[in-house]
Amino acid sequence: MHLIASTGGKGGTGKSTFAVLSALKFSNQGKRVLLCDCDVECPNDHLLLGKELYESEPIYQHFPDLDAEKCVSCGTCSKVCKENAIFWVKGKPPVFFKELCSGCGACWIACPENAIGTKEEIIGKTFETKITDNLWLFTGMSEPGIKETGPVVKETKKRALKLAEKIEAEILIVDTAPGTHCNVIQALLGCERAYIVTEPTPLGAHDAALISELLSIMKIPSEIVLNKADVGDQRTIKKIAEEHNIPITIKIPYSERLIRAYSEGRLDKVVNLI
Amino acid sequence: MKIVVASGKGGTGKSMFASSLALLFSEVTSVVACDCDVDAPNMGLWLGVTTYDSVERISVSEKARINSEKCIGCGKCFENCVFGAVQKKDSIFTINYLLCEGCGVCQLVCPAGAIDLAPVMNGEIRIKNTKWGFPLVSGQLKPGETGSGRIVQELRERADKLSYNVMILDAAAGIGCPVIASITGCDYAVLVTEPTPSGLSDLRRVLEIVNHFKVPYGVILNKWDINPKVSEKIEEWSGEQFLGKISYDREVVNSIVNLRPVIVSKSKVKNEIREIFEKIKDSI
Repeated sequence: MHLIASTGGKGGTGKSTFAVLSALKFSNQGKRVLLCDCDVECPNDHLLLGKELYESEPIYQHFPDLDAEKCVSCGTCSKVCKENAIFWVKGKPPVFFKELCSGCGACWIACPENAIGTKEEIIGKTFETKITDNLWLFTGMSEPGIKETGPVVKETKKRALKLAEKIEAEILIVDTAPGTHCNVIQALLGCERAYIVTEPTPLGAHDAALISELLSIMKIPSEIVLNKADVGDQRTIKKIAEEHNIPITIKIPYSERLIRAYSEGRLDKVVNLI
Repeated sequence: MKIVVASGKGGTGKSMFASSLALLFSEVTSVVACDCDVDAPNMGLWLGVTTYDSVERISVSEKARINSEKCIGCGKCFENCVFGAVQKKDSIFTINYLLCEGCGVCQLVCPAGAIDLAPVMNGEIRIKNTKWGFPLVSGQLKPGETGSGRIVQELRERADKLSYNVMILDAAAGIGCPVIASITGCDYAVLVTEPTPSGLSDLRRVLEIVNHFKVPYGVILNKWDINPKVSEKIEEWSGEQFLGKISYDREVVNSIVNLRPVIVSKSKVKNEIREIFEKIKDSI
Protein backbone atom coordinates (compact mmCIF):
# COMPACT_ATOMS: atom_id res chain seq x y z
CA MET A 1 0.00 0.00 0.00
CA HIS A 2 1.19 3.50 -0.82
CA LEU A 3 1.13 6.09 1.95
CA ILE A 4 1.24 9.68 0.75
CA ALA A 5 0.64 13.03 2.46
CA SER A 6 -0.84 16.37 1.53
CA THR A 7 0.78 19.09 3.62
CA GLY A 8 1.99 22.66 3.20
CA GLY A 9 3.05 24.67 6.27
CA LYS A 10 0.67 27.53 5.58
CA GLY A 11 -3.05 27.28 6.18
CA GLY A 12 -5.63 27.72 3.46
CA THR A 13 -3.36 26.89 0.55
CA GLY A 14 -5.47 23.93 -0.57
CA LYS A 15 -4.10 20.92 1.34
CA SER A 16 -7.54 19.41 1.88
CA THR A 17 -8.67 20.29 -1.65
CA PHE A 18 -5.64 18.51 -3.10
CA ALA A 19 -6.02 15.51 -0.78
CA VAL A 20 -9.72 15.09 -1.65
CA LEU A 21 -9.18 15.63 -5.39
CA SER A 22 -6.34 13.06 -5.40
CA ALA A 23 -8.46 10.56 -3.50
CA LEU A 24 -11.32 11.02 -5.98
CA LYS A 25 -8.99 10.78 -8.96
CA PHE A 26 -7.34 7.55 -7.81
CA SER A 27 -10.69 6.00 -6.92
CA ASN A 28 -12.13 7.02 -10.30
CA GLN A 29 -9.25 5.07 -11.82
CA GLY A 30 -10.53 2.02 -9.98
CA LYS A 31 -8.01 2.01 -7.12
CA ARG A 32 -9.10 1.30 -3.55
CA VAL A 33 -8.40 4.51 -1.63
CA LEU A 34 -8.53 5.56 2.01
CA LEU A 35 -8.38 9.28 2.74
CA CYS A 36 -7.34 10.04 6.32
CA ASP A 37 -8.11 13.53 7.64
CA CYS A 38 -5.38 14.17 10.21
CA ASP A 39 -6.11 17.90 10.58
CA VAL A 40 -7.77 16.92 13.84
CA GLU A 41 -8.11 20.46 15.19
CA CYS A 42 -10.14 21.53 12.15
CA PRO A 43 -11.06 18.51 10.01
CA ASN A 44 -12.84 19.49 6.80
CA ASP A 45 -12.41 16.72 4.22
CA HIS A 46 -15.94 15.43 4.83
CA LEU A 47 -17.35 18.90 4.12
CA LEU A 48 -15.50 18.96 0.80
CA LEU A 49 -17.14 15.63 -0.02
CA GLY A 50 -20.54 16.88 1.14
CA LYS A 51 -20.76 14.30 3.94
CA GLU A 52 -21.74 14.50 7.58
CA LEU A 53 -19.88 12.49 10.18
CA TYR A 54 -21.74 9.82 12.15
CA GLU A 55 -20.92 7.11 14.69
CA SER A 56 -17.71 8.18 16.27
CA GLU A 57 -15.31 6.09 18.27
CA PRO A 58 -13.74 7.96 21.19
CA ILE A 59 -10.00 8.35 21.76
CA TYR A 60 -9.05 8.22 25.42
CA GLN A 61 -6.07 9.51 27.31
CA HIS A 62 -5.07 9.24 30.95
CA PHE A 63 -5.14 12.39 33.05
CA PRO A 64 -4.07 12.76 36.72
CA ASP A 65 -6.69 12.23 39.43
CA LEU A 66 -5.58 13.25 42.91
CA ASP A 67 -6.55 11.25 45.97
CA ALA A 68 -6.60 14.08 48.54
CA GLU A 69 -6.49 11.67 51.46
CA LYS A 70 -3.20 10.13 50.39
CA CYS A 71 -1.59 13.42 49.33
CA VAL A 72 1.04 14.74 51.75
CA SER A 73 1.43 18.07 49.90
CA CYS A 74 5.11 17.44 49.15
CA GLY A 75 5.04 19.20 45.78
CA THR A 76 6.95 16.50 43.88
CA CYS A 77 4.29 16.38 41.15
CA SER A 78 4.52 20.11 40.57
CA LYS A 79 8.32 19.94 40.32
CA VAL A 80 8.37 17.18 37.68
CA CYS A 81 5.63 18.72 35.52
CA LYS A 82 7.35 20.32 32.53
CA GLU A 83 4.08 21.81 31.30
CA ASN A 84 3.62 23.90 34.48
CA ALA A 85 0.18 22.35 34.71
CA ILE A 86 0.37 21.72 38.46
CA PHE A 87 0.25 24.64 40.85
CA TRP A 88 1.57 24.00 44.32
CA VAL A 89 2.12 26.18 47.40
CA LYS A 90 4.15 24.72 50.28
CA GLY A 91 1.94 22.91 52.76
CA LYS A 92 -1.04 22.80 50.41
CA PRO A 93 -2.21 20.05 48.08
CA PRO A 94 -1.49 20.66 44.38
CA VAL A 95 -4.00 22.14 41.93
CA PHE A 96 -4.14 20.57 38.45
CA PHE A 97 -4.84 22.64 35.37
CA LYS A 98 -6.28 20.29 32.83
CA GLU A 99 -5.99 22.73 29.95
CA LEU A 100 -2.20 22.75 30.38
CA CYS A 101 -1.84 18.99 30.95
CA SER A 102 -0.41 16.86 28.16
CA GLY A 103 -1.22 13.60 29.98
CA CYS A 104 2.44 12.56 29.92
CA GLY A 105 2.21 10.78 33.30
CA ALA A 106 5.23 12.35 34.99
CA CYS A 107 3.21 13.38 38.08
CA TRP A 108 1.67 10.02 38.88
CA ILE A 109 4.93 8.22 38.23
CA ALA A 110 6.87 10.59 40.48
CA CYS A 111 4.38 10.82 43.38
CA PRO A 112 6.08 9.14 46.38
CA GLU A 113 2.73 8.42 48.08
CA ASN A 114 0.96 6.97 45.05
CA ALA A 115 -1.65 9.63 45.67
CA ILE A 116 -2.18 10.38 42.00
CA GLY A 117 -4.33 7.95 40.13
CA THR A 118 -5.48 8.34 36.58
CA LYS A 119 -8.81 8.88 34.97
CA GLU A 120 -9.53 8.30 31.33
CA GLU A 121 -10.90 11.23 29.44
CA ILE A 122 -11.89 11.65 25.85
CA ILE A 123 -9.34 13.73 23.91
CA GLY A 124 -10.85 13.15 20.50
CA LYS A 125 -12.79 10.83 18.27
CA THR A 126 -12.57 9.13 14.91
CA PHE A 127 -15.18 8.61 12.21
CA GLU A 128 -15.31 6.07 9.41
CA THR A 129 -17.27 7.13 6.32
CA LYS A 130 -17.75 5.10 3.19
CA ILE A 131 -17.91 7.45 0.21
CA THR A 132 -18.12 5.02 -2.74
CA ASP A 133 -17.43 1.33 -3.33
CA ASN A 134 -13.71 1.98 -3.41
CA LEU A 135 -13.27 5.23 -1.49
CA TRP A 136 -13.34 5.60 2.28
CA LEU A 137 -12.79 8.60 4.52
CA PHE A 138 -11.37 8.29 8.01
CA THR A 139 -11.53 11.45 10.13
CA GLY A 140 -9.83 12.34 13.40
CA MET A 141 -11.22 15.17 15.54
CA SER A 142 -9.76 16.58 18.76
CA GLU A 143 -11.91 17.73 21.66
CA PRO A 144 -11.85 21.54 21.85
CA GLY A 145 -9.58 22.67 24.70
CA ILE A 146 -7.17 19.76 24.31
CA LYS A 147 -3.71 21.26 24.16
CA GLU A 148 -1.63 18.44 22.71
CA THR A 149 -3.33 17.13 19.60
CA GLY A 150 -0.39 14.96 18.51
CA PRO A 151 -1.75 11.92 20.42
CA VAL A 152 -5.12 12.33 18.65
CA VAL A 153 -3.36 12.23 15.29
CA LYS A 154 -1.30 9.24 16.39
CA GLU A 155 -4.38 7.22 17.31
CA THR A 156 -6.28 8.38 14.21
CA LYS A 157 -3.49 7.10 11.98
CA LYS A 158 -3.20 3.86 13.88
CA ARG A 159 -6.91 3.19 13.35
CA ALA A 160 -6.75 4.34 9.73
CA LEU A 161 -3.95 1.87 9.02
CA LYS A 162 -6.06 -0.90 10.51
CA LEU A 163 -9.02 0.09 8.34
CA ALA A 164 -6.77 0.30 5.28
CA GLU A 165 -5.77 -3.30 5.87
CA LYS A 166 -9.37 -4.39 6.31
CA ILE A 167 -10.61 -2.76 3.13
CA GLU A 168 -7.44 -3.71 1.25
CA ALA A 169 -6.68 -0.12 0.32
CA GLU A 170 -4.02 0.42 -2.30
CA ILE A 171 -3.46 4.07 -1.43
CA LEU A 172 -3.73 5.86 1.90
CA ILE A 173 -3.75 9.64 1.55
CA VAL A 174 -3.02 11.58 4.74
CA ASP A 175 -4.24 15.18 4.94
CA THR A 176 -2.21 17.07 7.57
CA ALA A 177 -2.87 20.21 9.60
CA PRO A 178 -1.06 23.44 8.75
CA GLY A 179 2.21 24.09 10.55
CA THR A 180 5.43 22.19 11.10
CA HIS A 181 5.09 20.70 14.58
CA CYS A 182 3.85 17.80 16.69
CA ASN A 183 0.49 17.07 15.07
CA VAL A 184 1.91 17.52 11.56
CA ILE A 185 4.90 15.32 12.39
CA GLN A 186 2.63 12.54 13.68
CA ALA A 187 0.64 12.75 10.44
CA LEU A 188 3.73 12.62 8.22
CA LEU A 189 5.40 9.70 10.03
CA GLY A 190 5.80 6.72 7.75
CA CYS A 191 4.64 8.52 4.59
CA GLU A 192 6.65 7.62 1.51
CA ARG A 193 6.00 10.91 -0.27
CA ALA A 194 4.63 14.30 0.64
CA TYR A 195 2.94 16.88 -1.54
CA ILE A 196 3.62 20.44 -0.41
CA VAL A 197 0.54 22.39 -1.39
CA THR A 198 1.34 26.08 -1.62
CA GLU A 199 0.45 29.28 -3.47
CA PRO A 200 2.60 31.72 -5.45
CA THR A 201 2.90 34.47 -2.84
CA PRO A 202 5.73 35.41 -0.44
CA LEU A 203 3.59 33.81 2.32
CA GLY A 204 3.30 30.52 0.46
CA ALA A 205 7.02 30.53 -0.31
CA HIS A 206 7.99 31.35 3.27
CA ASP A 207 5.90 28.54 4.74
CA ALA A 208 6.78 26.04 2.00
CA ALA A 209 10.43 26.56 2.93
CA LEU A 210 9.63 25.71 6.56
CA ILE A 211 7.75 22.49 5.77
CA SER A 212 10.51 21.52 3.29
CA GLU A 213 12.97 21.78 6.15
CA LEU A 214 10.84 19.43 8.26
CA LEU A 215 10.40 16.95 5.40
CA SER A 216 14.12 16.91 4.81
CA ILE A 217 14.75 16.18 8.53
CA MET A 218 12.18 13.36 8.26
CA LYS A 219 13.80 12.14 5.03
CA ILE A 220 10.47 12.16 3.19
CA PRO A 221 10.79 12.90 -0.56
CA SER A 222 8.46 15.67 -1.65
CA GLU A 223 6.94 17.54 -4.57
CA ILE A 224 5.38 20.97 -4.75
CA VAL A 225 1.76 21.45 -5.78
CA LEU A 226 1.22 25.05 -6.81
CA ASN A 227 -2.37 26.05 -6.15
CA LYS A 228 -3.93 29.18 -7.66
CA ALA A 229 -0.81 29.03 -9.83
CA ASP A 230 -1.81 31.96 -12.01
CA VAL A 231 -2.59 34.39 -9.18
CA GLY A 232 0.44 36.13 -7.71
CA ASP A 233 4.04 35.66 -8.65
CA GLN A 234 5.67 32.25 -9.16
CA ARG A 235 9.27 33.50 -8.88
CA THR A 236 9.51 33.23 -5.08
CA ILE A 237 8.22 29.63 -5.12
CA LYS A 238 10.59 28.66 -7.93
CA LYS A 239 13.48 30.00 -5.86
CA ILE A 240 12.43 27.92 -2.82
CA ALA A 241 11.95 24.86 -5.03
CA GLU A 242 15.47 25.23 -6.43
CA GLU A 243 17.04 25.90 -3.04
CA HIS A 244 15.44 22.81 -1.53
CA ASN A 245 15.75 20.75 -4.69
CA ILE A 246 12.04 19.96 -4.78
CA PRO A 247 10.27 19.79 -8.15
CA ILE A 248 7.05 21.69 -8.84
CA THR A 249 5.05 18.85 -10.40
CA ILE A 250 1.43 19.95 -10.28
CA LYS A 251 -0.12 23.33 -10.99
CA ILE A 252 -3.75 24.03 -10.22
CA PRO A 253 -5.07 27.21 -11.84
CA TYR A 254 -7.26 29.68 -9.99
CA SER A 255 -10.76 28.50 -10.76
CA GLU A 256 -14.12 29.89 -9.77
CA ARG A 257 -15.59 26.49 -10.58
CA LEU A 258 -13.29 24.97 -7.96
CA ILE A 259 -14.24 27.59 -5.37
CA ARG A 260 -17.92 26.91 -6.01
CA ALA A 261 -17.44 23.13 -5.84
CA TYR A 262 -15.48 23.60 -2.60
CA SER A 263 -18.20 25.62 -0.94
CA GLU A 264 -20.91 23.21 -2.14
CA GLY A 265 -19.07 20.09 -0.96
CA ARG A 266 -18.94 18.80 -4.54
CA LEU A 267 -15.24 18.49 -5.35
CA ASP A 268 -16.14 15.40 -7.38
CA LYS A 269 -17.26 17.83 -10.10
CA VAL A 270 -13.77 19.24 -10.62
CA VAL A 271 -11.47 16.20 -10.43
CA ASN A 272 -10.15 17.06 -13.88
CA LEU A 273 -8.33 20.08 -12.41
CA ILE A 274 -5.43 17.92 -11.19
CA MET B 1 -5.93 46.19 25.71
CA LYS B 2 -5.06 42.92 24.02
CA ILE B 3 -6.89 41.94 20.82
CA VAL B 4 -6.31 38.49 19.34
CA VAL B 5 -7.16 37.56 15.74
CA ALA B 6 -8.00 33.86 15.27
CA SER B 7 -9.99 31.65 12.91
CA GLY B 8 -9.45 27.93 13.32
CA LYS B 9 -9.17 27.43 9.59
CA GLY B 10 -5.99 28.53 7.86
CA GLY B 11 -5.88 31.00 5.02
CA THR B 12 -9.04 32.90 5.94
CA GLY B 13 -7.16 36.19 6.26
CA LYS B 14 -6.03 36.37 9.90
CA SER B 15 -2.59 37.85 9.28
CA MET B 16 -3.91 40.23 6.62
CA PHE B 17 -6.54 41.52 9.03
CA ALA B 18 -4.31 41.54 12.13
CA SER B 19 -1.64 43.58 10.34
CA SER B 20 -4.31 46.00 9.05
CA LEU B 21 -5.73 46.36 12.54
CA ALA B 22 -2.29 47.15 13.96
CA LEU B 23 -1.76 49.82 11.30
CA LEU B 24 -5.17 51.40 11.89
CA PHE B 25 -4.83 51.44 15.67
CA SER B 26 -1.36 52.98 15.30
CA GLU B 27 -3.03 56.03 13.75
CA VAL B 28 -4.80 56.76 17.04
CA THR B 29 -2.76 55.15 19.82
CA SER B 30 0.42 53.25 20.68
CA VAL B 31 0.49 49.71 19.35
CA VAL B 32 2.55 46.55 19.56
CA ALA B 33 2.00 43.80 16.99
CA CYS B 34 2.57 40.20 18.05
CA ASP B 35 2.89 37.38 15.53
CA CYS B 36 1.88 34.31 17.55
CA ASP B 37 1.79 31.92 14.58
CA VAL B 38 5.16 30.47 15.50
CA ASP B 39 4.77 27.57 13.05
CA ALA B 40 4.37 29.83 10.05
CA PRO B 41 4.79 33.49 11.03
CA ASN B 42 3.44 35.71 8.26
CA MET B 43 2.35 38.93 9.96
CA GLY B 44 5.72 40.53 9.19
CA LEU B 45 5.33 39.95 5.45
CA TRP B 46 1.92 41.66 5.52
CA LEU B 47 3.68 44.67 7.09
CA GLY B 48 6.47 44.56 4.53
CA VAL B 49 8.96 43.37 7.16
CA THR B 50 11.64 40.98 5.90
CA THR B 51 14.51 41.77 8.28
CA TYR B 52 14.56 42.25 12.05
CA ASP B 53 16.40 44.61 14.40
CA SER B 54 17.06 41.92 16.97
CA VAL B 55 16.93 38.13 16.98
CA GLU B 56 17.09 36.34 20.31
CA ARG B 57 17.62 32.59 20.35
CA ILE B 58 15.83 30.79 23.15
CA SER B 59 15.16 27.27 24.36
CA VAL B 60 11.52 26.32 24.83
CA SER B 61 11.88 22.61 25.37
CA GLU B 62 14.17 19.80 26.37
CA LYS B 63 14.83 16.49 24.67
CA ALA B 64 15.62 13.16 26.26
CA ARG B 65 18.87 11.33 25.56
CA ILE B 66 19.59 7.67 26.29
CA ASN B 67 23.11 6.77 27.33
CA SER B 68 23.54 3.45 25.55
CA GLU B 69 26.35 2.36 27.88
CA LYS B 70 24.15 2.68 30.95
CA CYS B 71 20.95 1.35 29.32
CA ILE B 72 20.01 -2.13 30.54
CA GLY B 73 17.35 -2.63 27.86
CA CYS B 74 14.42 -3.02 30.29
CA GLY B 75 12.02 -1.12 28.03
CA LYS B 76 10.36 0.92 30.80
CA CYS B 77 10.91 4.14 28.85
CA PHE B 78 9.35 2.56 25.78
CA GLU B 79 6.28 1.40 27.72
CA ASN B 80 5.67 4.72 29.47
CA CYS B 81 6.18 7.27 26.70
CA VAL B 82 2.71 8.41 25.64
CA PHE B 83 4.15 10.32 22.68
CA GLY B 84 5.64 7.20 21.09
CA ALA B 85 9.05 8.87 21.10
CA VAL B 86 11.02 5.88 22.39
CA GLN B 87 11.85 3.49 19.59
CA LYS B 88 12.96 -0.09 19.82
CA LYS B 89 15.06 -1.70 17.13
CA ASP B 90 16.96 -4.97 17.65
CA SER B 91 16.33 -4.54 21.40
CA ILE B 92 18.16 -1.20 21.38
CA PHE B 93 16.19 1.79 22.60
CA THR B 94 16.58 5.22 21.08
CA ILE B 95 14.73 8.54 21.25
CA ASN B 96 12.96 9.81 18.17
CA TYR B 97 13.97 13.44 18.47
CA LEU B 98 10.98 14.61 16.42
CA LEU B 99 8.43 13.00 18.73
CA CYS B 100 10.05 13.72 22.09
CA GLU B 101 8.07 16.33 24.05
CA GLY B 102 10.70 16.59 26.78
CA CYS B 103 8.21 15.57 29.49
CA GLY B 104 10.84 13.59 31.40
CA VAL B 105 8.75 10.47 32.02
CA CYS B 106 11.45 8.21 30.54
CA GLN B 107 14.01 9.69 32.89
CA LEU B 108 11.66 9.15 35.86
CA VAL B 109 11.02 5.48 35.09
CA CYS B 110 14.56 4.51 34.05
CA PRO B 111 15.97 2.27 36.81
CA ALA B 112 19.52 2.59 35.46
CA GLY B 113 19.81 6.36 35.39
CA ALA B 114 20.59 6.10 31.70
CA ILE B 115 18.40 8.97 30.52
CA ASP B 116 18.86 12.68 30.90
CA LEU B 117 17.15 15.74 29.46
CA ALA B 118 19.01 18.50 27.66
CA PRO B 119 17.61 21.88 26.63
CA VAL B 120 17.65 22.60 22.91
CA MET B 121 17.95 26.03 21.30
CA ASN B 122 14.89 25.77 19.14
CA GLY B 123 13.14 29.11 19.20
CA GLU B 124 13.71 32.62 18.00
CA ILE B 125 12.11 35.85 19.10
CA ARG B 126 12.50 38.67 16.63
CA ILE B 127 11.72 42.32 17.15
CA LYS B 128 11.39 44.98 14.49
CA ASN B 129 10.60 48.66 14.89
CA THR B 130 8.53 48.89 11.75
CA LYS B 131 8.50 51.90 9.48
CA TRP B 132 4.85 52.28 10.44
CA GLY B 133 5.89 53.53 13.86
CA PHE B 134 5.13 50.50 16.04
CA PRO B 135 7.13 47.43 17.01
CA LEU B 136 6.47 43.90 15.74
CA VAL B 137 7.38 40.99 18.01
CA SER B 138 7.50 37.72 16.13
CA GLY B 139 8.30 34.19 17.20
CA GLN B 140 9.50 31.21 15.25
CA LEU B 141 9.90 27.66 16.40
CA LYS B 142 12.31 25.58 14.35
CA PRO B 143 10.43 23.08 12.16
CA GLY B 144 10.12 19.74 13.92
CA GLU B 145 10.62 21.14 17.43
CA THR B 146 8.20 21.15 20.35
CA GLY B 147 7.11 24.02 22.55
CA SER B 148 4.97 26.25 20.34
CA GLY B 149 2.75 27.23 23.29
CA ARG B 150 5.74 28.22 25.37
CA ILE B 151 7.29 30.34 22.66
CA VAL B 152 3.99 32.22 22.38
CA GLN B 153 4.14 32.88 26.15
CA GLU B 154 7.75 34.07 25.83
CA LEU B 155 7.04 36.44 22.99
CA ARG B 156 3.98 37.83 24.72
CA GLU B 157 6.16 38.55 27.77
CA ARG B 158 8.65 40.44 25.57
CA ALA B 159 5.84 42.40 23.92
CA ASP B 160 4.28 43.22 27.28
CA LYS B 161 7.46 44.99 28.38
CA LEU B 162 7.17 47.48 25.51
CA SER B 163 4.98 50.50 26.07
CA TYR B 164 1.65 50.21 24.31
CA ASN B 165 -2.05 50.80 24.65
CA VAL B 166 -3.20 48.17 22.19
CA MET B 167 -1.53 44.81 21.53
CA ILE B 168 -2.64 42.97 18.38
CA LEU B 169 -1.97 39.22 18.46
CA ASP B 170 -2.09 37.14 15.29
CA ALA B 171 -2.86 33.52 16.27
CA ALA B 172 -1.98 30.34 14.38
CA ALA B 173 -4.50 28.19 12.56
CA GLY B 174 -6.12 25.35 14.50
CA ILE B 175 -7.33 25.23 18.10
CA GLY B 176 -4.37 23.54 19.82
CA CYS B 177 -1.64 24.71 22.17
CA PRO B 178 -0.24 27.78 20.35
CA VAL B 179 -3.79 29.06 19.76
CA ILE B 180 -4.79 28.50 23.38
CA ALA B 181 -1.61 30.34 24.48
CA SER B 182 -2.54 33.24 22.17
CA ILE B 183 -6.18 33.61 23.24
CA THR B 184 -5.73 33.29 26.99
CA GLY B 185 -5.57 36.65 28.78
CA CYS B 186 -6.87 38.65 25.82
CA ASP B 187 -9.58 41.29 26.17
CA TYR B 188 -11.18 40.79 22.78
CA ALA B 189 -11.05 38.25 19.96
CA VAL B 190 -11.65 38.94 16.28
CA LEU B 191 -12.64 35.72 14.54
CA VAL B 192 -12.02 35.76 10.79
CA THR B 193 -13.91 33.32 8.62
CA GLU B 194 -14.84 32.72 5.00
CA PRO B 195 -18.15 31.64 3.42
CA THR B 196 -17.43 27.92 3.05
CA PRO B 197 -18.66 24.98 5.12
CA SER B 198 -15.06 24.55 6.38
CA GLY B 199 -14.87 28.20 7.40
CA LEU B 200 -18.03 27.94 9.47
CA SER B 201 -17.16 24.55 10.97
CA ASP B 202 -13.73 25.80 12.12
CA LEU B 203 -15.21 29.06 13.39
CA ARG B 204 -17.49 27.05 15.65
CA ARG B 205 -14.50 25.10 16.96
CA VAL B 206 -12.32 28.11 17.72
CA LEU B 207 -15.32 29.76 19.37
CA GLU B 208 -15.37 26.95 21.95
CA ILE B 209 -11.86 28.01 23.00
CA VAL B 210 -12.78 31.72 23.03
CA ASN B 211 -15.85 30.99 25.16
CA HIS B 212 -13.85 28.76 27.48
CA PHE B 213 -11.62 31.73 28.31
CA LYS B 214 -14.68 34.03 28.40
CA VAL B 215 -13.16 36.44 25.88
CA PRO B 216 -15.69 38.77 24.19
CA TYR B 217 -15.53 38.40 20.42
CA GLY B 218 -16.67 39.62 17.03
CA VAL B 219 -16.89 37.82 13.68
CA ILE B 220 -15.56 39.02 10.33
CA LEU B 221 -16.46 37.43 7.03
CA ASN B 222 -13.63 37.61 4.50
CA LYS B 223 -14.07 37.04 0.74
CA TRP B 224 -17.82 37.12 1.45
CA ASP B 225 -18.78 37.45 -2.21
CA ILE B 226 -17.31 34.08 -3.27
CA ASN B 227 -20.49 32.57 -1.84
CA PRO B 228 -23.16 35.11 -0.81
CA LYS B 229 -25.55 32.34 0.26
CA VAL B 230 -23.21 30.80 2.84
CA SER B 231 -22.21 34.36 3.83
CA GLU B 232 -25.78 35.15 4.71
CA LYS B 233 -25.94 32.03 6.84
CA ILE B 234 -22.77 32.92 8.75
CA GLU B 235 -23.90 36.52 9.22
CA GLU B 236 -27.19 35.31 10.66
CA TRP B 237 -25.44 32.73 12.83
CA SER B 238 -23.09 35.39 14.25
CA GLY B 239 -25.99 37.65 15.28
CA GLU B 240 -24.92 40.67 17.30
CA GLN B 241 -21.31 39.52 17.20
CA PHE B 242 -21.11 40.21 13.46
CA LEU B 243 -18.60 42.97 12.75
CA GLY B 244 -18.64 43.17 8.97
CA LYS B 245 -17.53 41.68 5.71
CA ILE B 246 -14.61 42.04 3.34
CA SER B 247 -14.87 41.43 -0.42
CA TYR B 248 -12.70 39.12 -2.48
CA ASP B 249 -10.24 41.24 -4.39
CA ARG B 250 -7.27 39.99 -6.39
CA GLU B 251 -5.57 43.27 -5.55
CA VAL B 252 -5.01 41.81 -2.06
CA VAL B 253 -2.82 39.12 -3.63
CA ASN B 254 -0.88 41.82 -5.50
CA SER B 255 -0.38 43.69 -2.29
CA ILE B 256 1.24 40.69 -0.57
CA VAL B 257 3.31 39.91 -3.67
CA ASN B 258 4.66 43.47 -3.46
CA LEU B 259 4.91 43.28 0.37
CA ARG B 260 2.69 46.32 0.76
CA PRO B 261 0.12 46.39 3.56
CA VAL B 262 -3.44 46.22 2.24
CA ILE B 263 -4.31 49.41 4.10
CA VAL B 264 -1.91 51.45 1.96
CA SER B 265 -2.67 49.57 -1.29
CA LYS B 266 -5.11 50.36 -4.08
CA SER B 267 -7.47 47.58 -2.99
CA LYS B 268 -11.08 48.50 -2.33
CA VAL B 269 -11.07 46.25 0.74
CA LYS B 270 -9.13 48.85 2.71
CA ASN B 271 -12.30 50.88 3.18
CA GLU B 272 -14.22 47.82 4.32
CA ILE B 273 -11.45 47.02 6.81
CA ARG B 274 -11.51 50.60 8.08
CA GLU B 275 -15.25 50.35 8.74
CA ILE B 276 -14.74 47.15 10.72
CA PHE B 277 -11.92 48.78 12.64
CA GLU B 278 -14.24 51.64 13.67
CA LYS B 279 -16.75 49.09 14.94
CA ILE B 280 -14.10 47.21 16.93
CA LYS B 281 -12.85 50.49 18.40
CA ASP B 282 -16.38 51.26 19.56
CA SER B 283 -17.09 47.82 20.99
CA ILE B 284 -13.97 47.50 23.14
